[in-house]
Amino acid sequence: MWWGGRGQSFNIAPQKEEPEMGLSGPKSVQESRMPEPRSRRLSSCLASGCLPGEQILAWAPGVRKGLEPEMSGTLICTNLRVTFQPCGWQRNQDTPLSSEYDFALVNIGRLEAVSGLSRVQLLRPGSLLKFIPEEILIHGRDFRLLRIAFEAGGLEPQAFQVTMAIVQARAQSSQAQQYLGITLSKAGQGSGSRKPPIPLMETAEDWETERNKQGARGWRVSTVNERFDVATSLPRYFWVPNRILDSEIRRAFGHFHQGRGPRLSWHHPGGSDLLRCGGFYTASDPNKEDIRAVESMLQAGHSDVVLVDSMDELPSLADVQLAHLRLRALCLPDSSVADDKWLSALEGTRWLDYVRACLRKASDISVLVTARVRSVILQERGDRDLNGLLSSLVQLLSAPEARTLFGFQSLVQREWVAAGHPFLTRLGGTGASEESPVFLLFLDCVWQLLQQFPADFEFSEFFLLALHDSVRVPDTLTFLRNTPWERGKQSGQLNSYTQVYTPGYSQPPAGNSFNPQLSVWDWDLRYSSAQILQFQNPGYDLEQCPDSWLPRLQVKCLNFLNSLDFPTGSCCQTGRSERHNVLSSLGKAPHYSSAAVTYSPWLSLGRQMS
Amino acid sequence: MLGKGVVGGGGGTKAPKPSFVSYVRPEEIHTNEKEVTEKEVTLHLLPGEQVLCEASTVLKYVQEDSSQHGVYGRLVCTDFKIAFLGDDESTLDNDETQFKNKVIGENDITLHCVDQIYGVFDEKKKTLFGQLKKYPEKLIIHCKDLRVFQFCLRYTKEEEVKRIVSGIIHHTQAPKLLKRLFLFSYATAAQNNTVTDPKNHTVMFDSLKDWCWELERTKGNMKYKAVSVNEDYEVCERLPAYFVVPTPLPEENVQRFQGHGIPIWCWSCHNGSALLKMSALPKEQDDGILQIQKSFFDRIYKTIHRPPYEIVKTEDLSSNFLSLQEIQTAYSKFKQLFLIDNSTEFWDTDIKWFSLLESSSWLDIIRRCLKKAIEITECMEAQNMNVLLLEENASDLCCLISSLVQLMMDPHCRTRIGFQSLIQKEWVMGGHCFLDRCNHLRQNDKEEVPVFLLFLDCVWQLVHQHPPAFEFTETYLTVLSDSLYIPIFSTFFFNSPHQKDTNMHQRQLSLPLTQSKSSPKRGFFREETDHLIKNLLGKRISKLINSSDELQDNFREFYDTWHSKPTDYHGLLLPHIEGPEIKVWAQRYLRWIPEAQILGGGRVATMSKLLEMMEEVQSLQEKIDERHHSQQAPQAEAPCLLRNSARLSSLFPFALLQRHSSKPVLPTSGWKALGDEDDLAKQEDEFVDLGDV
Repeated sequence: MWWGGRGQSFNIAPQKEEPEMGLSGPKSVQESRMPEPRSRRLSSCLASGCLPGEQILAWAPGVRKGLEPEMSGTLICTNLRVTFQPCGWQRNQDTPLSSEYDFALVNIGRLEAVSGLSRVQLLRPGSLLKFIPEEILIHGRDFRLLRIAFEAGGLEPQAFQVTMAIVQARAQSSQAQQYLGITLSKAGQGSGSRKPPIPLMETAEDWETERNKQGARGWRVSTVNERFDVATSLPRYFWVPNRILDSEIRRAFGHFHQGRGPRLSWHHPGGSDLLRCGGFYTASDPNKEDIRAVESMLQAGHSDVVLVDSMDELPSLADVQLAHLRLRALCLPDSSVADDKWLSALEGTRWLDYVRACLRKASDISVLVTARVRSVILQERGDRDLNGLLSSLVQLLSAPEARTLFGFQSLVQREWVAAGHPFLTRLGGTGASEESPVFLLFLDCVWQLLQQFPADFEFSEFFLLALHDSVRVPDTLTFLRNTPWERGKQSGQLNSYTQVYTPGYSQPPAGNSFNPQLSVWDWDLRYSSAQILQFQNPGYDLEQCPDSWLPRLQVKCLNFLNSLDFPTGSCCQTGRSERHNVLSSLGKAPHYSSAAVTYSPWLSLGRQMS
Repeated sequence: MLGKGVVGGGGGTKAPKPSFVSYVRPEEIHTNEKEVTEKEVTLHLLPGEQVLCEASTVLKYVQEDSSQHGVYGRLVCTDFKIAFLGDDESTLDNDETQFKNKVIGENDITLHCVDQIYGVFDEKKKTLFGQLKKYPEKLIIHCKDLRVFQFCLRYTKEEEVKRIVSGIIHHTQAPKLLKRLFLFSYATAAQNNTVTDPKNHTVMFDSLKDWCWELERTKGNMKYKAVSVNEDYEVCERLPAYFVVPTPLPEENVQRFQGHGIPIWCWSCHNGSALLKMSALPKEQDDGILQIQKSFFDRIYKTIHRPPYEIVKTEDLSSNFLSLQEIQTAYSKFKQLFLIDNSTEFWDTDIKWFSLLESSSWLDIIRRCLKKAIEITECMEAQNMNVLLLEENASDLCCLISSLVQLMMDPHCRTRIGFQSLIQKEWVMGGHCFLDRCNHLRQNDKEEVPVFLLFLDCVWQLVHQHPPAFEFTETYLTVLSDSLYIPIFSTFFFNSPHQKDTNMHQRQLSLPLTQSKSSPKRGFFREETDHLIKNLLGKRISKLINSSDELQDNFREFYDTWHSKPTDYHGLLLPHIEGPEIKVWAQRYLRWIPEAQILGGGRVATMSKLLEMMEEVQSLQEKIDERHHSQQAPQAEAPCLLRNSARLSSLFPFALLQRHSSKPVLPTSGWKALGDEDDLAKQEDEFVDLGDV
């Protein structure tokens, strides 16, 4: 169910503040030849919304068009972003970024200046504006569109300036650039130990807690990669079978592509395990002992396991990228597709085909793991893209915990962020060649599940949308780095670990000395508390919740079976496996037929905003 | 439920019944045959219903299974329905259907509901009609409500096969006379049973009073009057006995061309503008007659174009808009997507689903109808114009568009009673040829056009987009669409009120039936549009109405402005008509396809959650009240259909729970087994049976 257009989704009335009297000390604002009369008060007002280290390059008064009500305000270009500030609205210091009006420079997919009815100029980084624009259109790579009409009457130079400033700022920005100051200022606010909203899976303790939650008894947390010397793309800690020694792991992992050997992703309470690993390193020549080690790591105590080729039947990375480009073109407001050709155009993008393929494969694997109680190993050559997608989907399908807000965020953190999904590369930060929005494909799959089972998810589609949009906001390192190693290097916490190497479980650093890194899960950076409230799905069936009466952080071993009402007679309750069987065949088997796979939420966005 | 029946009186042995489900070989059948006849299940017959032929030991395939699973039983054909009576009651004991029709059981097909019959000869599927030389081993029946039945006749006696197959073909496909409709046998036999529900306030528009009431309700009585000039259908058999025309219009004008060329009032808007309809004047070649028509028309035109009447805009629905043939072609393509014999077929069409949907252009036709209705709404609402709908007989697209306009503009029509009154006014009294358009008599397939279904689908789009604006749900619409094929109520079985009145009346008085007058031919495959009318009207009006470009702009602005504002559910209501917004009416079209069900999901899940919360609020309120009065009230737990949301299907209430099989098709490639190969192979077999648990 889609609750109105994108424009309305987060339309919470802007907070009106008392008109600011008295100048609150103008800060370091570069005012390059701005017309004097009204600018002083304005600019000080604007500056108050700046991030640390942010500089206003140009601004111009304008009117936001395309959405009712039209709003007058100011278009501002800074060295970090383009933002529209409605009149009488002031940024809340607690949420320094606006989810509605901010466009990080890297998010700008297309910039158009319009004059009159016919003059349209597409502005690429470095191009020169040929006329004074009456209107500017900013197309976000996240499908958003900001349409600003400039005020006439002597302010044309400003319109020209701000447009040129955007063009230039875009040329200078880079994908990897981060709103650096925000981390500092925000983290500083917490004064002292600030717990991340969800475990970031950067400490052995996090892994140990999670392992206990899943009840994975045959597994332990390995510290072999603590110094990232087994694989830089792997997290510092991961789960391996109890019986395997760290030395064996080190040797065995060497035979896998980029050192990504088999690790546990999820332990099913019925006893089966879901593992993921990279492809076998073709040039390696393992000796007998290594082969035995690899085998015992893959089998992990099970008599037989199923090895699934993740790449089989799923789109290639290039396919995903192409489909996404087509999809975005289709959703542009000026897309030339006639309404009666919409469906075939949508089909032509193949995006929904890929969504279906993912859901289908994940549901097959989920039945294997839950109903058949069979261990499954996901194998993908790189182990950093489709493995994450499949493993997360399987967990969403099979474990109710993963469908809570907390559980889902932990899942993404564990299977994507910590597992080394190359976000920066895949989102186009390092050139187009390897760009492929696998993560967005995953989010679309989740959205489909949410559509199909609206009572089974604690989070709403607003939450998914917020996560989708956050991918293009460079405020935290979550999506700006490719590996946990790079992320750790950046936030400077690496030193505290590598210098003092303690065997076994390393002590978590004392709260005060450790400056925790902000992550995408710090929603209050970008969203007001009213918006964050909308992350909750009001239709969530609390009975589905694994332990609604317990505080969320103490999620215990799975006891979700008790809460489900099984139809008597159709299920012979002979044992655990039988009941799981019913669970997956009754409830959470996703529908991947075209009839069930709906148009995706972010599809209609461009259209809604136009 | 019907068809499930009761165990026959005689030797009702309660011995454990042998299961006739699945994999029974013919030899076993013969040994069991006697027993089968012993526990015969009685057929529930309606008053006046007669059994025509039957066959035993018919195997009904369980639909979603391409394998040979099935239920044995009797196949019976009466003059009302085809019924299958399963022998194995264990499958029927479960309360599997959430929704039960009081008249039609799960395995009943009314004769009017049969769409196509196929026979399978040596694995080849052929359409069956007329006299057969060879009898099929399998009978596939496609229904108009999109159910698909497959009956295996391999184990049935040959003469029984002949009798049942030719019986079914004859009674469903051969042209029929109106007087042979089951409706009449039923009406005669069940006369005493007709109960008039006093609570049913649906306005029938069969009296002058009803029309006056409607005029008053819409404040149209200042400029329009109800007339009874056609009281005994003396003027025209196409028109209802009573209708409404502009006040100054002389009544003799109505008689002039048998009601053609007369502006007939449909509805008045709050701002005074009105929606009118007119059936075109007969096409003439003779210049003299043309002259007469022209002068007649001038007079009419003068009447409706003087103040107090608003400027009139004419919408000629016969040209520049949908043709009935387009609708027919589109629907016949569209329905094939849902008439699915087995799951293989389902998955085959799945790959190209969107383009198949699009190529049927059914959804586009819906969009065009909605768009036309919005355009007319814009004229009336924003430009304060009268709109005159023009069509050859003013009984197909006129009904559709005028009902849609009223639905969008008049919140009264969005209540259940209001909606029923609307259908009664615009469709039944408006003379929509239900008999021909549904092809109930099988006399002319070309006349079969699902105009009414198209209307319901348009309404569904509105309901789907704005559920809070409607008192009724999509289920109501689905049930309404089904009732088109149940010949018990006379509503949807006549071409005009005149036809209904004469036939029902005579029948009830048990007078010998006179040769029923066949309705005047209204072939819609007209080569050319009615130039006369177009010219007459066009010339005069072209200077008054805006150019089409401007019209488009007006439309766009009206549409965009409305959608950018918060919706008032009790005011004007416009649908979204963009490409992604026109959707498939899943509940109606997909309800019999198990593969398309989402158990425990879909909108139903949210709805049931909502109901649960409302119940909770209510019970809390009660508790508060209780405390207030310090009295102990008994805890009444209202049974709720929607409880146990985890078990409900997205296609609630039509879906059958037990039917669902979750059988993920494991791709054979890409699975590598480590460890015991044999064990895995064994497990694969188990896996196939997963769905039966």
